[in-house]
Amino acid sequence: MRYKTEKVDTLIKGRSLWADGWRRLRKRKFAMLCFVIVLAYFALAAAVYLDEFLKSRFAAQGYTGLRMFNWSQTVGPSYQPPMEKYAWTPDNAQAPQAGWALLGTDFLGQSTWRKMVYGAKTSMTVAICASIISLMIGVPLGALAGYFRGKVDDLVVWLYTTLDTIPYILLVMAFAVVLRNKTIFGWEIRGITAVYLAIGLTSWVSICRLIRGEVLKRKESEYVLAARAIGCSNSRIIFRHLLPNMFHIVIINLSLQFMAFIHAEVILSFLGLGESDRPSWGSMIDAARTELARNVWWEMAAATAAIFIISLALNIFGDALRDCLDPKLRTD
Amino acid sequence: MYSTTLLRPKRLWCWSWVLFFVAGALLSGCGKDSPSGSEAVVLNQRLRAKIQTLDPADVGDTNTDGVCKEFFDTLYQYHYLKRPYEIIPLAAAQMPEISADGLTWRIAVRKDVYFHDDPCFAGGKGRNLKAADFLYAWKRVADIRTRSKNWYIFDGKIVGLDDFRQYTKSCPPEQVDYARRVDGLTAPDDHTIEIKLVRPWPQLIFWLAHVPTAPIAHEAVERYGPDIIKHPVGTGAFMLKQWHRGVYVEAVRNPNYYPAFYPTDGMPEDADAGLLADAGKRLPLIDRIIWRIMEEDQPRWLLLMKGDIDLNSIPKDNFAQAVGFGKELTPQMKRLGMRLTTVDEPCTFWVEMNMQDPLICSNKPLRYAIAHAIDRMRFIDLLWNGRGYPAYGFIPPAMKEYDESVKDGSHCVYDVNMACQYLKEAETLYGGKLPRFRLAMGGTDFIYKQMGQFLQRNLRDIGLDVQLEMFDWPTFLEKMTTGDLQLFFNGWMADYPDVESFLQIFYSKNAPWPNHGYYNNPQFDAIYEEVSIMPDCPERVDLYRQAEKIVIEDMPCAFTYHRIGYIIYHDWLNNLKPDGYKSDTIGYGYSKYYRIDSQKRDAYRKQLKHQDE
Repeated sequence: MRYKTEKVDTLIKGRSLWADGWRRLRKRKFAMLCFVIVLAYFALAAAVYLDEFLKSRFAAQGYTGLRMFNWSQTVGPSYQPPMEKYAWTPDNAQAPQAGWALLGTDFLGQSTWRKMVYGAKTSMTVAICASIISLMIGVPLGALAGYFRGKVDDLVVWLYTTLDTIPYILLVMAFAVVLRNKTIFGWEIRGITAVYLAIGLTSWVSICRLIRGEVLKRKESEYVLAARAIGCSNSRIIFRHLLPNMFHIVIINLSLQFMAFIHAEVILSFLGLGESDRPSWGSMIDAARTELARNVWWEMAAATAAIFIISLALNIFGDALRDCLDPKLRTD
Repeated sequence: MYSTTLLRPKRLWCWSWVLFFVAGALLSGCGKDSPSGSEAVVLNQRLRAKIQTLDPADVGDTNTDGVCKEFFDTLYQYHYLKRPYEIIPLAAAQMPEISADGLTWRIAVRKDVYFHDDPCFAGGKGRNLKAADFLYAWKRVADIRTRSKNWYIFDGKIVGLDDFRQYTKSCPPEQVDYARRVDGLTAPDDHTIEIKLVRPWPQLIFWLAHVPTAPIAHEAVERYGPDIIKHPVGTGAFMLKQWHRGVYVEAVRNPNYYPAFYPTDGMPEDADAGLLADAGKRLPLIDRIIWRIMEEDQPRWLLLMKGDIDLNSIPKDNFAQAVGFGKELTPQMKRLGMRLTTVDEPCTFWVEMNMQDPLICSNKPLRYAIAHAIDRMRFIDLLWNGRGYPAYGFIPPAMKEYDESVKDGSHCVYDVNMACQYLKEAETLYGGKLPRFRLAMGGTDFIYKQMGQFLQRNLRDIGLDVQLEMFDWPTFLEKMTTGDLQLFFNGWMADYPDVESFLQIFYSKNAPWPNHGYYNNPQFDAIYEEVSIMPDCPERVDLYRQAEKIVIEDMPCAFTYHRIGYIIYHDWLNNLKPDGYKSDTIGYGYSKYYRIDSQKRDAYRKQLKHQDE
């Protein structure tokens, strides 16, 4: 009797898509490891923000910030020009050594390790802000186009098809060039802001297309028809019934796009269109490019490794997330 | 039978693919997109920035100047070998006849000079150069619609030219009458120019050796209109063949170049250096020049090593590879047959402050703080491998007017304590913490980023919040001219061997070009106006130093360093003698003196190829 009751309870309660997805995800050890890595990058970025906030708030009390995030401090030997007045120092004077110069130093004697850590903040900020912008544009536009069809759909499809015909990185570069150092409604767009705006404003197409397709598919499903039958408004159907049921698709798409945003930020910084006065992985690679002539490889290696690890982690985690959340791909 | 088999439809299809690939492989070597090689003697040059224009009226930066001078001969030039620099005739037949009061200049123009062959002339054949062509060129500079940045050269100096400028302001576009009389600019005959000056102008002789005063054919301007920037129809030793914007510029020998000869006299050391080996030979000694535009240091350096460019400056990161102790070439470079030459350049670089910015203009302690914050010695060592001198004022050590004692009264001395002290004063004056400043750099190459980072760090060390802005060179020039920059790294290379060239960049009436910082001090202006009409004399030197002290006191610029030019070149390039006034040895009308040993170059390339295999 007791057994039967428990079974009935379980059947009634069921498991939500998210709980089920999480259960499946936990079984994948490597995906979980990647998830932890991604979280570590986020935590690092958050810690840099917190440190900067504390520094500005408690500067008067003598708080100068954590040394780990003080990238502009000299921690080791800088470049020594080969002139008569200097004792001869080999080219690898800046090479990795113990302490904060664990990953070597740059031409000013700044720690490559600290710059790499700070670069996580730059990349994560850009990726998060660009994701928010692309979601804010792509999701409503896709939902409206799919739900209302007709001229709204034509307009949205025309807009994203036009944007999609322009090669992505060229489009991002063009937006970055146009936006940087501009003042719009009294808001000065500088450095990192121009980067995430450029990426966000150009990256909503895929999510928009995906949402449009899903809405088209689901707008005739029973739960939508039921909502319509009880007199729900269009906006209520879209935002309370349709979108929450498609959120897992957004999450999956975002986890994969996140990596593309990081790459775009690196490319823009490398080309001199990104963050110019604070470290980013792209500007580290740009700096290291000329220094390779002196066999100074560590800055390039550090930035590349940081990008490689987050890209790999995001890729594997994103794939696993898709496998776990998408009912069609479930194998267990 | 055999041929029939070959021509079966299926096989025919296969053969057509084979032919397609073979033809593709053969044709791939014949691309017209890059300058192709030939039997002609070629000088392979390089440029570190895009050039903006080939219109002499609008030349305003060293890169454009260096290229343009190869197409446009001026009335005078500097003797190629003699030092100190000596002015000699070029398109002029002789040195000018100057009246006793210094107000009237009479210049005879050579009668055997012809413009480049160009479709703008009847029959495409370049016509004879006349005095009127000079007058036309100078009136073009004065024409407000030409938007020449070089008007400051003539401003208020030639009788009636200012009135002509006023006339062009009211004249409908494209209807300026260049035949309109200007009393100070006349041509008594086809080959004589007469210039009447408002006041004596001793520096005019130097300006007559400068590209903006070069003659241009009115036929070309009329035919090409705004496209004249792509059609440099001058009288120089070389003619433009093609200009692939942002990629390369190619020039070929002017077959109609008048009989000009390599100098037969020079400095005593020139004979030993082999610089007189070609004495008396007809110029030019080469057939073509190709300037490859490469903004990045490393590609330029690698092409030099490959033998694809003949000369280059030495990038910071390759300095150890090229130059060893004693500032001599390393054994490796000597083995490659490289040669090195250095020259103290009459240039000064600084962090300029826009005096139109209310915060900067009204806050002298802030300007002092910035000047004290820059660690000049470290800047020179770190970024230029010690190739420079710290700057305390604007007069460079390469000029005879340089005064070593300028350091004593200058704020351009690295002193963090003083900088912090001045910053406190600046904050008190401002009434709180100073806002974030913008520091602009005129280049996107990493050396500019590194310089920017260094300066930013120096300023942050004293508590100034500074944000870096990187612009490419043309954008930087435009923003500088429109006054959009706040703090910016800038510099000036003297146009001629007279400190007056530096004074003009602080003269208030020369804003925004070349007075980019909009500096304005009536006391300085008065000295400039007085000194600009004085001949070379000890009193003039005193006035120059006095003017420099006024600028140092006002500190519109944090003077940073004076550069020493290092040019490394292959041993097949002969007759190279750098001119300090012509930065980076990129041309400036001197290419006609260079001789190239093509066989040596070919042997070098073959050897490299052999090593690669």
